[in-house]
Amino acid sequence: MEKKYWKSLKEVQRAEHLQADELPADHQAKSMIDILADDDNSKSSSRRDFLKWCGISFFSATVLSACENPVKKAIPYLNQPEELIPGKASWYASTYLRGNDYCPVLVKNRDGRPIKIEGNTLSSITKGGTSARVQASVLSLYDTGARYKQAMRNGEGLLWEEADADVVKKLGEITAQGGRMALVTPTLLSPVTRALIDEFKAAHPSLELVTWDAVSYAGIRKAHEQLFGQPIIPDYRFDNAELIVGFGCDFLGTWLSPVEFARRYAKKRRVSRDKPEMSQHIQFEGMLSLTGANADERVPVKPSEELKILISLYNKLAGLAGQSPAMEVSPAYDVDALAGQLMEHRGRALVVSGSPQKEVQMLVAAINQLSGAYGNTIDTSTPLMTGMSDDDAFETLLSDMSQGKVGAVMFYQTNPVYQYPDTEGIVNAIKNTGLSLSFATTRDETAEVCQYILPDHHYLESWGDAEFKAGHYSLMQPLIHPLFKTRQFQDSLLTWLGREADFHSYLKNWWQKNLLPQQNVYPDPTNFWVKTLQAGVLEVPARGMANLLPNPGALGDIMAALREQIQGADLEYVTYPSLSMGDGHDANNPWLQELPDPVTSVCWDNFSAVSPATAASLGLVEGDMIRINDKVEVPVLIQPGLAAGTLAIALGYGRTQGGISADGRGGNAFLLSPKRSFHGLVSSWTKVGSGHLFARTQTHFSMEGRAIVRESTLDKYKNDPAAGNELREYHLKHHNTLYPDPEFPGHHWALMVDLNACTGCSTCVVACQSENNTPVIGKDEVRRRRIMHWMRIDRYYTGDADNPGVVFQPLMCQHCDHAPCENVCPVAATTHSQEGINQITYNRCVGTKYCINNCPYKVRRFNWYEYATKEQFNTHTSTDLGRMVLNPDVTVRERGVVEKCSFCVQRIQEAKLKAKMERRTLKDGEVMPACVQACPSSALVFGDLNDPESKVSQLIKDSRNYHLLEELHTLPSVGYLTKIRNPRS
Amino acid sequence: MHNTFKEGIIRLGKVFPMVLVLLISIICWLPKAVQGQDTLAGEAEGVVETVDSLVEETAEAAAEITENQPAEAYARGGYSKQDLRRGERLFKGLVPFGSGAHSCASCHYTSRTDTLNWNPSAFDLALAWHKDPEYRIQQKMNNPTGMRMMTDHLDMTVTLEEERQLEAYYEAILEEGPGELRAYPVNSIIFWGLGVLMLLAVVDLLITKKVRFKAIHVLILIVGLVVHMQYAVAESRNLGRTQGYAPDQPIKFSHLVHAGENAIDCNYCHTVNQFSPSSGIPSNNTCLNCHGVIREGTRSGRFEINKIHQAEESGKPIEWLRIHDLPDHTFYSHAQHVNAGGLECLECHGTVEEMHVLYQHADLSMGWCLTCHRDNDADFVGNPYFGIYKQLHQDIKDGKIDAVKAAQIGGEDCMKCHY
Repeated sequence: MEKKYWKSLKEVQRAEHLQADELPADHQAKSMIDILADDDNSKSSSRRDFLKWCGISFFSATVLSACENPVKKAIPYLNQPEELIPGKASWYASTYLRGNDYCPVLVKNRDGRPIKIEGNTLSSITKGGTSARVQASVLSLYDTGARYKQAMRNGEGLLWEEADADVVKKLGEITAQGGRMALVTPTLLSPVTRALIDEFKAAHPSLELVTWDAVSYAGIRKAHEQLFGQPIIPDYRFDNAELIVGFGCDFLGTWLSPVEFARRYAKKRRVSRDKPEMSQHIQFEGMLSLTGANADERVPVKPSEELKILISLYNKLAGLAGQSPAMEVSPAYDVDALAGQLMEHRGRALVVSGSPQKEVQMLVAAINQLSGAYGNTIDTSTPLMTGMSDDDAFETLLSDMSQGKVGAVMFYQTNPVYQYPDTEGIVNAIKNTGLSLSFATTRDETAEVCQYILPDHHYLESWGDAEFKAGHYSLMQPLIHPLFKTRQFQDSLLTWLGREADFHSYLKNWWQKNLLPQQNVYPDPTNFWVKTLQAGVLEVPARGMANLLPNPGALGDIMAALREQIQGADLEYVTYPSLSMGDGHDANNPWLQELPDPVTSVCWDNFSAVSPATAASLGLVEGDMIRINDKVEVPVLIQPGLAAGTLAIALGYGRTQGGISADGRGGNAFLLSPKRSFHGLVSSWTKVGSGHLFARTQTHFSMEGRAIVRESTLDKYKNDPAAGNELREYHLKHHNTLYPDPEFPGHHWALMVDLNACTGCSTCVVACQSENNTPVIGKDEVRRRRIMHWMRIDRYYTGDADNPGVVFQPLMCQHCDHAPCENVCPVAATTHSQEGINQITYNRCVGTKYCINNCPYKVRRFNWYEYATKEQFNTHTSTDLGRMVLNPDVTVRERGVVEKCSFCVQRIQEAKLKAKMERRTLKDGEVMPACVQACPSSALVFGDLNDPESKVSQLIKDSRNYHLLEELHTLPSVGYLTKIRNPRS
Repeated sequence: MHNTFKEGIIRLGKVFPMVLVLLISIICWLPKAVQGQDTLAGEAEGVVETVDSLVEETAEAAAEITENQPAEAYARGGYSKQDLRRGERLFKGLVPFGSGAHSCASCHYTSRTDTLNWNPSAFDLALAWHKDPEYRIQQKMNNPTGMRMMTDHLDMTVTLEEERQLEAYYEAILEEGPGELRAYPVNSIIFWGLGVLMLLAVVDLLITKKVRFKAIHVLILIVGLVVHMQYAVAESRNLGRTQGYAPDQPIKFSHLVHAGENAIDCNYCHTVNQFSPSSGIPSNNTCLNCHGVIREGTRSGRFEINKIHQAEESGKPIEWLRIHDLPDHTFYSHAQHVNAGGLECLECHGTVEEMHVLYQHADLSMGWCLTCHRDNDADFVGNPYFGIYKQLHQDIKDGKIDAVKAAQIGGEDCMKCHY
């Protein structure tokens, strides 16, 4: 409890002019009344001005009263679809799929338009969890600016029939001449699409399918092939692991299957009186990742050093098992204790590495083999179908293309012009190809250099399926008629095969033919299809995987490659897919752009993070622009916790043809690694500028070192369940108030947050934004501290600045029963409901902002401008099409009113109404605010405190429970469970 | 004299802002005053807007079709002034038809009225003629179909020449629009009269100085401003409220005929009120359930019912004008009130079955909502959902209270309706 928490470096360094230097130059805007003054030079306003404005007010009232009510129309359907109830949402199961990113989802469809994505609870992979990018994907559907709206040839629109005629003719010519053609795709998780491509290949024998992922997991697959003779990516069971050792692996944020891994990880991290046990997590990494921030022990090391530690760990384990060491290395970190621990936790330990290199993954697999992980914490019975990327084939294709040996090249869901390190080379290669076409849905760099753009549907307009894990199938179905004149990729292939462009039937037939026999629930094909489509997922017994037998000689072959990789330098870089951007295909999504990175709390930018010590030694200050390896220009951000001599740069930024929200944001870090290893040496760097301004949400809300996050260790918790929470008892004893005790005759809603389960993944932030029509405000406005998110992830540091402990705390309106905001509202716009909700009535609010000043949690937001509808702030909902994403059940707030979290009152009302109509009581867990539903690790629990059986009632009695700033006696309805860590003793 | 004038101008300059305010407010009020208080001006505009767009669309379609037609005896367009003059006289009954003296305008009104007239207006007729290039006045008149038309148009025939003249008149009507509603002169006379008086008072006070007693100027100005303010206040209070709003709908649909005389249940057409926030405006196919067979109304004949079929054929749904319209920040659920609350439709919508033209019964103000929530008993004991209110149940058992009002179980919470 005596830990000192700090939020920013400036705070810890006690900078005198805290934040003042960060304010935008034009921040000191004139006050409204000054603008009214006659004389430009006079800053004060006179009585005359006041009278003038009184007069104008009177005058405008007169004019206003002469206004007429607008005539509104009510246009019914011509033929109302039977299953559609106007004004009521329906839910359909579908699948989010983009390369290796996968999530089974439920889509809320209101009057024929998808407005919200939620997780499909029937899927055993995600169990209803989602990620920030999945939540935000609905906005990309309505991206009027960047979506391709029709087929195009050399930048000019043409009819699909014309395009088909052209393509069929050219492909026919190439086939006749025996020329080569290639289809470049990311890993295809859809078995039907693979089957269709096979058919297409049969008709065009010279077609070559090249799989290429921008962020590749193929290293794991190849490692298993070489070591065990099985090309698989196994399933990592973090829920069985008592000891997790991560090497630069952000498995909670972006690696492989983060939604699933977060759930499994959190399951093992939860503690309670009944189960006072949790896993131990040790992380070695150069950057400070989300996963590293959650670790019990984090060792910041440079990438080359990280590999050395891995090798020496293998050596040690191999020595213990009587095998010969791989090669001699001498890392600065002593692995003896760790190796001992791994052997101690034999069968209950798991080592993972985020490296895309086959050699590194082989070492990791060998370590896991030695520590008995296979069969226990690594499950080979349901391998993952991701990571099919074949970089060598792609390289070959590129060189052949540049030599003009390839007749046609097609790009499906890949954007190598942006993601391939050698931009010039690939652009030349495409230009040297006879026929180049792209199926891009939204604008991208590759499509822009192709001759033909034959736009594919958005996934919410498409049919499809996916098999993410062996035996785990799910279906994708369209939720809306195509918005533009686009055509599904698969339909294009069918058309060119001379078949009817009806991928729906193709899919249905394939499923009925291939998957129906594998299950025995629905014998009838129609019933099987309808029910499976309704459920969205189908899980059939996986094809069994033979026991993995290691090939001992295999490791010897990789030594040369490893020796090359452990060559370090004074300065090294790490690039990583960021939580919000991923590989950059969603870069034009303003929800994601404005989502602050949970660790650095920067949005709308990428940067080169560098540790304070390294920055000092290099003479860099925050905001300096540096050019790294003469390839990428990014601003410097000083970030505690990074390894000395390491620069960490997020991928996915620096788009040039992505659209208005994406273009020109940060630098393209894909250009850095020629071998796509995503780390390497900084051979040169130069300072090219300074004074870059970051939009950070971090310095908005300083909590000045109070006991906001309470933390303890597992050992202490075992002895005393209230460890770390001693203050709670003190405050309870000293509670005193002048106000009457609030009464809640019916429901009393409350939200509990388990800080042990929360990983800080920020899914809830986007889910809230999507549900509650929270506007995007743009970088400038974020810099003015005006971010509108109703829910935020606060991040605090503990300990020393070189390797701080990091805690995340989701923060939303605390719905205090003695709310300080309610007392000060002069117009009673914010009041307390009978159900314990702190209500805000937008139409009553006059914008005095007294409530904002009086809120100790700083959760209230003010609409400084018409954010939702003005193009300069919001590039999406300012258009008619973009507005279709808005939730009609929530008011779009206008300028001058305050807003904040409402506990998703529209969902509470809906659930209550349903119960009333069915004449039954409300069940616990039936009401789920958007954040609770979205959380992949179920860290948030919502319910009724008046129901003694409810989960929240149980949790609030837990001795770990505490409230924020409880010394103020605000009686929040949101409770937090203390964070328990499990450090090595 | 010269100096006085100059002085007057300067003084006028000083009060110029005030005069400007007065003038602008008068200008703003102009349409309102002309129209009278009881109607909403927008409704007329709405109709004109629809018509304009329709006319544009159909004109294009018609142009295409006429181009393709071979030259025949009958062709539209190219009407002379003579045609128009005679056509108007024919329609208004000023000159007899070949078949005798008839006045079309006695049934087919040439201007908008605030009384219900089941017959299509002159504008409606012109529009129907315009939309359909095959529409022949002569054919319709000489071979009437439907009971209503046959009886009313008995012995009326139209010659080819007369048809042409009527067409000329139709075209003129289309250009003019459906016409304005009668104004309520009293309001406008008071408003304008006072405005002019005040202006005169100001001018006399500052420049001409004919009236000696300044008390008169002041009196006029005070009375004038008070009356004008009264208008402003009364209108401001009703801003956004539309009690009594009864716009002309695109079809002369009568709830009296359907829900009253034919006793059709509300739920038959407004199907989703039990499940959805909205009660649901019936889609075209719901109308056709009956009107697929019933092609002619007792009062309205075939003209109005035909619009349903036209919509079906053209694929364009009927654009009704919305009457009950809550502000966007207010969430109201029919399902809550009708299904869970057990309210009858008439409690909010009035005796709809007695309305030929539907109007807004309640003012739908927040005070009106809250009065109901405070005064009316909820279905508290009967619904197991309310079992969570233990104290209230105990109070009922103990005889402390008889019933529970909606306000006692959260019916006064802001976030019941505003979120």
